[in-house]
Order: sequence, then structure tokens, then C-alpha cells
Amino acid sequence: MERRKFLSYSAMIGAAAAIPRINPDFAFSKAFAQENRPLMFLSAENITGNWDPTAHTTLSQTNIEGFVMGFLTRAPMRPDDPDKVIYELATEINEIDAFTLEIKLREGVTFHDGKPFKAEDVKATFEYGAQPDRPKQVYPGPTDTFEVTTPDDYTVIIDTSKGGYGASLFIFLASYLPMLSAQDIAEGPNGVLSQRLNGTGPFKFVEQRGNDTVMEAFPEYFRGAPIVPGVTFAFVGDGTTRMLSLMSGQADVIERLEPEQVETLEAEDDIKLSRLVSVENKYLFFRCSKPPFDDWRVRKAAAHAIDRTILWDVMGSAGEPSSNWISPIKFGYIDLESYPEYDPDECQRLLAEAGYPGGEGLPELEYLTSTGFYPKTKEYGEVITALLQEQGFPVRLNVMEVAAWNERLYDRPGGGPGHMVDCGWSTGSPEPDLVLRTHFHSSSKRICGIVDPEIDAALDEERNAPSLEARRESLQTNLMPLLAQKVPALSLFTSVLIHGMRSNVDGLFIYPDGVADASEATLS
Amino acid sequence: MFVVRFLARRLFQGVIIVFLVSALIFTLLRVVPGDPVRLMAGGMAPEALIEQIATDMGLRDPIYVQFARYMSGVAQGDLGQSFVRPASGAALGGASFDDTTRSERAEVLTLIAETAPMTIQLALLAMIFALIIAIPIGIWAGLNPGRWPDRIALYLSSIFVSLPNFWLGIVLVLLLSVKLQLVPAIGYDGFAYTILPAFVLAIEIAPFIIRALSVSVASVMSQNFIAIAAVRGLTQTQIVFRHALKNSAVPLLNLLGVQFSMLLGGVLVIEFIFDYPGLGLLTINAVLQRDFPLIQGIAIVTAAAFVLINIFVDLIATVIDPRLDY
Repeated sequence: MERRKFLSYSAMIGAAAAIPRINPDFAFSKAFAQENRPLMFLSAENITGNWDPTAHTTLSQTNIEGFVMGFLTRAPMRPDDPDKVIYELATEINEIDAFTLEIKLREGVTFHDGKPFKAEDVKATFEYGAQPDRPKQVYPGPTDTFEVTTPDDYTVIIDTSKGGYGASLFIFLASYLPMLSAQDIAEGPNGVLSQRLNGTGPFKFVEQRGNDTVMEAFPEYFRGAPIVPGVTFAFVGDGTTRMLSLMSGQADVIERLEPEQVETLEAEDDIKLSRLVSVENKYLFFRCSKPPFDDWRVRKAAAHAIDRTILWDVMGSAGEPSSNWISPIKFGYIDLESYPEYDPDECQRLLAEAGYPGGEGLPELEYLTSTGFYPKTKEYGEVITALLQEQGFPVRLNVMEVAAWNERLYDRPGGGPGHMVDCGWSTGSPEPDLVLRTHFHSSSKRICGIVDPEIDAALDEERNAPSLEARRESLQTNLMPLLAQKVPALSLFTSVLIHGMRSNVDGLFIYPDGVADASEATLS
Repeated sequence: MFVVRFLARRLFQGVIIVFLVSALIFTLLRVVPGDPVRLMAGGMAPEALIEQIATDMGLRDPIYVQFARYMSGVAQGDLGQSFVRPASGAALGGASFDDTTRSERAEVLTLIAETAPMTIQLALLAMIFALIIAIPIGIWAGLNPGRWPDRIALYLSSIFVSLPNFWLGIVLVLLLSVKLQLVPAIGYDGFAYTILPAFVLAIEIAPFIIRALSVSVASVMSQNFIAIAAVRGLTQTQIVFRHALKNSAVPLLNLLGVQFSMLLGGVLVIEFIFDYPGLGLLTINAVLQRDFPLIQGIAIVTAAAFVLINIFVDLIATVIDPRLDY
């Protein structure tokens, strides 16, 4: 044998002997699911960079808080029992009289930093969350309109007599505002509150690693340590990427599925879907502080030009028909008889009455909408544009990516950009004022910019009602019909939250605002 | 001495190129619609506050003043701070205007330093895959010009170059990751997550390498010294691998240099589809968020990398073929 061939052959034999020793795990070990690993949740929305729960209204961050924070109560808000309340950090909530509420607290609960949960934390949270400068602007009223006292470590008394509104408003608020530590609040908005989450929930905030929020199970959780060792909540901007990730088993749960994705995932054996009528309505907000929508007749004419049944067809399984400015699972919902429905004759009559017969004389109207976050916005935006144009509204649809739309979303002095804006609003509580007062009271008027003393008075009347029943009546017979008359925004439909999850995920409870309770979740 | 003169001249040219790219990007970013201060401050911020923040940050100064200020920072290695990203590097959405805690923002250089190695890893693996695919096909075609191996290489290249990378990426994820469960695809949690996006990129760039190699090999193989080599008693393997390939290497090397540079700056779609945390994903999010300093920083680093890679490639080419003069 030649020397060269001998060397070649011996090298080949050596290589062949080494092959079984190569560890293929180098490339493939971390690829797929094993049990006893964190739950991977993919989100469609990014976060704000400030962990203070009162500093934002961003849904994805609210979802993260759902894993980490504790609430006095939780509201499952299922359509068959929308007013149901589950006690969490509270054990009892009693209405002593119209202006006094007593809350009894659970004992033996600790925050993730070790501080015991007590009445002082509830007092500090309510007082801090209701401060007028907190962006989340938790209602019913600012801090100086109520008083919180703590007779002992596990009893909280709320007195709203100063504000003149019913203390019962705090009942629904209890499931909306996460309980913060009084120690954290003492440092103020620039303290530790903004740097990390510290709650009493089943999972402890560990760190923000790029777009991943890393949480681990809190062994001292008062209902018992969670079964999964943690939750990783990741922002993945592309819907197809989220779906592929779920199908490949790299993600366990994904949110905000498009109707087409639902069809694809329904065909997969190892995927299951969760459909929930949500607390979110989608609105067409009119800029009420500038012409021509500063005239209610033009707004109402536009509402009568829109055939919402076509939009519901476009939305398919991602939309639920509703005829009110709040979701059917919110307190006080009613299918309003006077809700402005498609009526071309009435549209033309109102336009003529407002001085724009057949739309003549109307300026070009810009309709702002986004693409990439809410399902089907572009598609139904085109339908609305065509319907409005049919009635003589010179509408131009402007479809923007989310950041650009977000930049133009809110009202500004003199009216915000454009004339109509597409947006949804979701709050994890049956409390209707978190939507109605936020958008239609002149002290807030987030997007539509409406200033109308009659609407203000109607909002104050329902808020100040002495009991829940009186409040329901005020909402249904005074405020809501008034909104149907003035139409500061048109509610198009109620969103249906569709989550996709691996079939081995059990025990995950999803609330209608998208918040998930994974305290009893398992990955079988 | 040649190397020193070469480097001095090319680096000087490179600095001018990077400067011009910076000036162009800087100007373009400031004339496109979308106010970054509105994004930073939040949708609910009053106009007066927007103007105050913009003035404080110098964003209402003339563009040339802003550019001079920016470039003086760059000269000292300071690419500035991201407008919106916090130190954790998370992509952000809207927040409140009076949110002072958001001032703790990430350094652009840090964000780039964290993501660039991921993209380099992706680009290198893509290049390796592309070479594995392209070298045998390219040589085979080059050795048989005008015959069926050459035609197969042409058809294959046409197919590869016609496949949209986003479509191929999704199809391969469905096939290899979802159905066959062979490789993971979305995000990054280990080296395995680089394989599939690298393969998609490799399919995209392989046709160029195949074409360059087949033409180059065919050209070399028709030269006299190859014909004489057989007379000298060399085997076909020796002729191809020791002589033909070495002489075909210079055009290939130039192509690889350009392709690699383009990979560093051109992996946007692939990184977005695969949620791969590299420079491409960082760029897309920066653009969506109007994060000017980050976009500028990425543009400067990418331009500099392009220049340096090309200088390096030219230097290597002169080593392979001393007749070359750059």
C-alpha cells in the first residue's frame, strides 16, 4: 500500500469511529418542548419600558401584570354571568352605605420581595392610582374625592362622601388595579416601581431580556406554587411568525389570531383555540373638536352611512355584533334600540340639515387606521370608506403601521390629526366608566376630543348613583341614549379575543381583556 | 510597504464613504414624515411639551448643526442613545408623556454590539451553506460548459434566485420545523436557531456564486497551462483543485466579499420572519419606532463593515494573485 493511501484510509477510519461520539445536541437539543419548562407566551404588542402599572394603558404589559401582580378580586366576565366576581386578595367587600365600602383582606399573603400584604398597601395603591397625573387615570375620581382608612392590618374602609359618588364604584375597580407595595409607592413614580414589577401573583418578575419578559414561579404564592416553573412573555411583531412558532411547538400560547389563521390552526390536531367575547369594542372615533364633526348631525349622518353587518362579515370569528359603546360583558350593557344603524335616507336628511346636502361642501376627510395589531382593520376600513363615499363623504383612508398611527391617535388642542380614527379600548373590569368617562367626558376625551356639558352631566349622574341598580338604570336610560343621539364615536363591534395554544397546555385561564392566569397551568 | 500604502489609501476612502452615507441617512431621516418626539413623549402629550423636548434635544436646530453635533460624537465613539429603547433593549410601544423614567435609554453602540454578533453568525453560516451548495455545482458546470451539467446549474440557479426568501422561509419552517420537527425556527435559544434562516439566505445567494464559479472555472479550464498540465502527468483532480480553482478564486473572492457585506445589512426580512434577534430585526423595529439614532448608528456600522470587508477582500486577492493592483 502506498504511504499516501495508508494515511487517507487511516484518517477515514478515525473519522468513522468519531461519528457516534458527536453530540447532535449541539444543534438540536434546545429545539423543542420538554416538560417542566417555562410557558412561552408570544405577544403581538410591545411594552412601554416603565413597569409602574399606573403609568400605561398598554395591553401587553397589562398581560404581564396578570402573571405577576395580585388583585383584590378578579372578574371572569363570561357572557352568561358578566357580573361574577372572584375574591383574590380580598375575602369580602361589603357596602356599609352608599358612600362607604368595607374590604376585608386575605391574611398570610406576601409580596415577591418578602413584604407582607396588608391594608396599608391597598390604601397606598388606591390613593396612588387615582392621582390625576397617573396616565392610567383610574376612576371613579381623583385622590382628593375619597378617603381610605385602615382600622386594622386586614380591613380597608373607603369613604366617597367627599366626591359625592357611590362607593360601589370601587367594587369593579378592585379587579382592574393591581395591588402595589406601599414601600414601593413611597419612592414615587421615579422609584423602584418603574424599574421592576413586585406583586403577590403566582409568578415573580425576573428580568427583561431584549423582547422577552422572564418570570419564574413564586413558591410562596398564597394559593400554592404554580406547576410550570415560569413564564416567558415575548414580543413577536409578525403574526405569521407567531403562528409558525406555535405550530412548531416553540411557543405554547399566542394571541390576537386573524380569522384566516384560525382556519389554519383548526386543522391542526395538536393546537387548541380559545375564543372569548372581549371587553374591547372597536370604534370609529370622530374628531369632535374640529369641523365638520364638531356638528353632531354630521357625525350621526356618518354613522347612518355605515352598514355594520358588512363589517361583521369581514371580521368573521374575530368580531361579535353589539349595539352599544361598551362590550356586552361590561356592567350596564344593553342592546340600544336607538343605536344609529345603516339608514341612507336618514344620513342624507341629517347631511342636508347640517348644510352639506349630498355631502356637498364637506372638506376631504382623513380616516386613520393601523395595520399589524388589530385584525382586519385595513379590510373593514376600505368597506367603511366606500360606504361613506357612497353617501357623499369625501373620505380618504390612511392605513399606517402601528407606531405612526399611535403617534396620531390622541386628541390635541384644536383637534388631533385626521377626522376619523380607528381604535379599540379594553379594560379588564366590568366597570363601564373605564371606557365611557375616559372617552366622552370633557376632562379626558382621549381620542374624540368631545366637550359636551350634557354628556358630562349624564356621566356624572350615573357615577353618582347611590346603588348599582340605580346606576344601571341611569346608564341605560340616560347616558347611552344620549350617546346614540350625539355619536362622538361609532362602536363597530366587540372584539373576540382568539388565543391559540398547544393542546398540552391545560389549566390556563384567559380573561376577556387578554390577561391570563397561569397559576394552575400545566404542560402535560 | 505596499500594504501600508494600500491600507492608508483605502481607509481614507472608506472614511469618506462612511461620512457621505451618514450625511445622506441623517438628512433623509429628518425629512421623512413622523415626529420621533411624539413617539417618545406619547400620543397624549401636549404640543408645548413636544416642542420643549424637541428643543431640549436639539431636534429643532438646522440639520447641518445637528449633523455636526452628531458626527463629533461619532468621532469620539459615541453613537448616542436610542430615542425609545430602555437599557434592557426591549422594543417599546406608547407610554405617557410625563414618564421621566423612560429617560434611562439604551446606548446605540451597546444595542448594536449585542445584536451584530448574532447577524455575523447568521451571515457566516449562510455563507458556509451557500459555498457547500454552490462549489460542487459551480465546478461541475464550469468543467462542462454548454453541456447538461452547465444547463442544470443554470436552471437550478434560476429557480433559487426566483424563490422569494420570505416564502421559502415560511415553507421551510412549516416543513422542517412544524412537520418534521428537525430544527427550531423562531427566535433564538441556541445555535440551532441559526440553521434554518441561514439556509434560506444561502439559497438566495448560492446562484450568484454558482454563476461566478462556473464562468470562472470554464474560462480558466480553456487556458493553455491547463491543457499542458495533463501533458505534465497531473491527474484531473490535481488540475482542477490545485490549478483551476486557485486561478478562479479571485473573482469568487470579490463576490463573496460583496455578498457577505450585503448579508450584514440585508437580512431584514429573514430576521423579521424568524424573529432572529440580529441587526436586521433591530433595524426594522428602529424604523417602525422612528428611532433616529439607532437607524443612523446601524447605517454607519453597516457602511463601515462594508468598506472594511471590501478592503480585506482586495488585500487577500493581491496575495492570491500578486499581479493585481488596487
